[in-house]
Amino acid sequence: MVRDVAFGQYFPGKSLMHRLDPRAKLVCFVAFVVLIFFTFNYAALGLIAAFTVFMIAVSGVSPKFYFKSLKVILFVVLFTSVLNLFYGSGEAIWQWWILRLTWNGIHRAAFVTVRIICLILASSCLTFTTSPTELTDAMERLMKPLAVIHFPVHEIAMMMSLALRFVPTLLEETDKIMQAQKARGADLESGGFLKRVKALIPILIPLFVSAFRRAYDIATAMECRCYRGGSGRTRMKILHMSARDIMSMITTAALIGGVIVCNIFMTSVI
Amino acid sequence: MFISIENVSFSYDSVEDGQPVKNAVDGVSLTVEQGEFVAVIGHNGCGKSTLAKHLNAMLLPDSGKVYVDGDDTADENKTWEIREKVGLVLQNPDNQLVASIVEEDVAFGPENLGVEPGEIRERVDKALKAVGMYEYRLHAPYKLSGGQKQRIAIAGILAIQPQCIVLDEPTAMLDPSGREEVMSTLIRLNKEMGITVVLITHYMDEAVSADRVVVMDSGRVLTQGTPGEVFSQVELLKKHRLDVPQAAELAFRLKGCGVDIDRIPLDEAECAEMLMEVLQ
Repeated sequence: MVRDVAFGQYFPGKSLMHRLDPRAKLVCFVAFVVLIFFTFNYAALGLIAAFTVFMIAVSGVSPKFYFKSLKVILFVVLFTSVLNLFYGSGEAIWQWWILRLTWNGIHRAAFVTVRIICLILASSCLTFTTSPTELTDAMERLMKPLAVIHFPVHEIAMMMSLALRFVPTLLEETDKIMQAQKARGADLESGGFLKRVKALIPILIPLFVSAFRRAYDIATAMECRCYRGGSGRTRMKILHMSARDIMSMITTAALIGGVIVCNIFMTSVI
Repeated sequence: MFISIENVSFSYDSVEDGQPVKNAVDGVSLTVEQGEFVAVIGHNGCGKSTLAKHLNAMLLPDSGKVYVDGDDTADENKTWEIREKVGLVLQNPDNQLVASIVEEDVAFGPENLGVEPGEIRERVDKALKAVGMYEYRLHAPYKLSGGQKQRIAIAGILAIQPQCIVLDEPTAMLDPSGREEVMSTLIRLNKEMGITVVLITHYMDEAVSADRVVVMDSGRVLTQGTPGEVFSQVELLKKHRLDVPQAAELAFRLKGCGVDIDRIPLDEAECAEMLMEVLQ
């Protein structure tokens, strides 16, 4: 059950999205995420949503997996949108106790829902089509100038790639521990919220213990393979910016332009 | 000789409750020749894994010396040179793979050594072909079987191009078919590529494939010799609660019943041959 989580996984492939230079992808992704929060009217929001669908289409990964990654955050989406529904300012169209429904609130809820969904889909698209190594490699290269001010660029990139590598392994382990505790009579599925949270303790403790043991093993294995930090390291894969990477950045720039135009010429609804 | 262990002792904590604790490795002397296939067998906690970590300077002896290709492992300037010559493969394949793609994982070692990108590619392809996992180079490691993962881990060490590979119970977490895959890979590496192999194991059947078997118990070397020499000492091994290969066990019991057997068989084929001789 836990293993169904698709978020953060990588699906090897040969689609346009897969072949893009990870640096170009990362730059476009960061720009896109910022852009998501600069949409103030439905035209801009529509542009963002359409672009998200476009990205999914050229990623060559089955939409099934995108739905799966959405499923995980369904609760977060519902929670924030309901919260926003009653958080708006202006004239109330319906009121009960402290709950005030306003048009502003409805708009806010719609925006926050679409924004979160786009955010998750875009980041899924990035991780589905970019191997963690490529991703951290890109991050390391893009942040390289920061090394001048003694920012530990390589160490952070290494930690991230290891964390991503062990996501499926630790999920599998969680599943095993859950089954083992169930076999010993642990009740994980009934009771109120508090009781269920408490029932997680016998799962989290063994998981943490084993994660620390793993960390120790990995450190040993890395040292055995002559790992001694970032200096003097080379990479097998050399990154090349090609025409399609330039194209992807131009497309993103065009999208930014589109959203700015929408924001200038149309009135904000939130 | 390639590796020389001279009277090495080591303990994890030197003092516990004011009392000196028992040494994990206690005065072991051993040599490994270039191109040899050595199996080290013994119980859990007999010190064999601790000994393995001494061979590539992961642990340094409390007393005694370890020399790899003439260099002392205690010499800090030589640490990385030694790890380049002696690769260590650990027990749990999951905890040795650092990248999410097979070929990127195999490239990790040479990348650490600062090898040129083009040469890394060559080494990775060669290492993956040597363990028979080339077709899986773009797969995600967590989707492979245990035996396949362990072969990837071996390829990761091979890409460093060591002269010697030390394996610390590489088959302990594998199913029988995975064990078979790993063993045949090791035998091939030793015979065809001339790589020195030190295999730490508690499966007696695996030790039979080695040129030389070293038996350890309570941090000391109990006995060593060719598999034939070691496994014919059935009584000694039994006294230390160690198994012998089934074929040797059968021969030993037949001998006990008064059957005349001059050579102890080590595997099924030899055993069948022996039984034929006895019956005729």
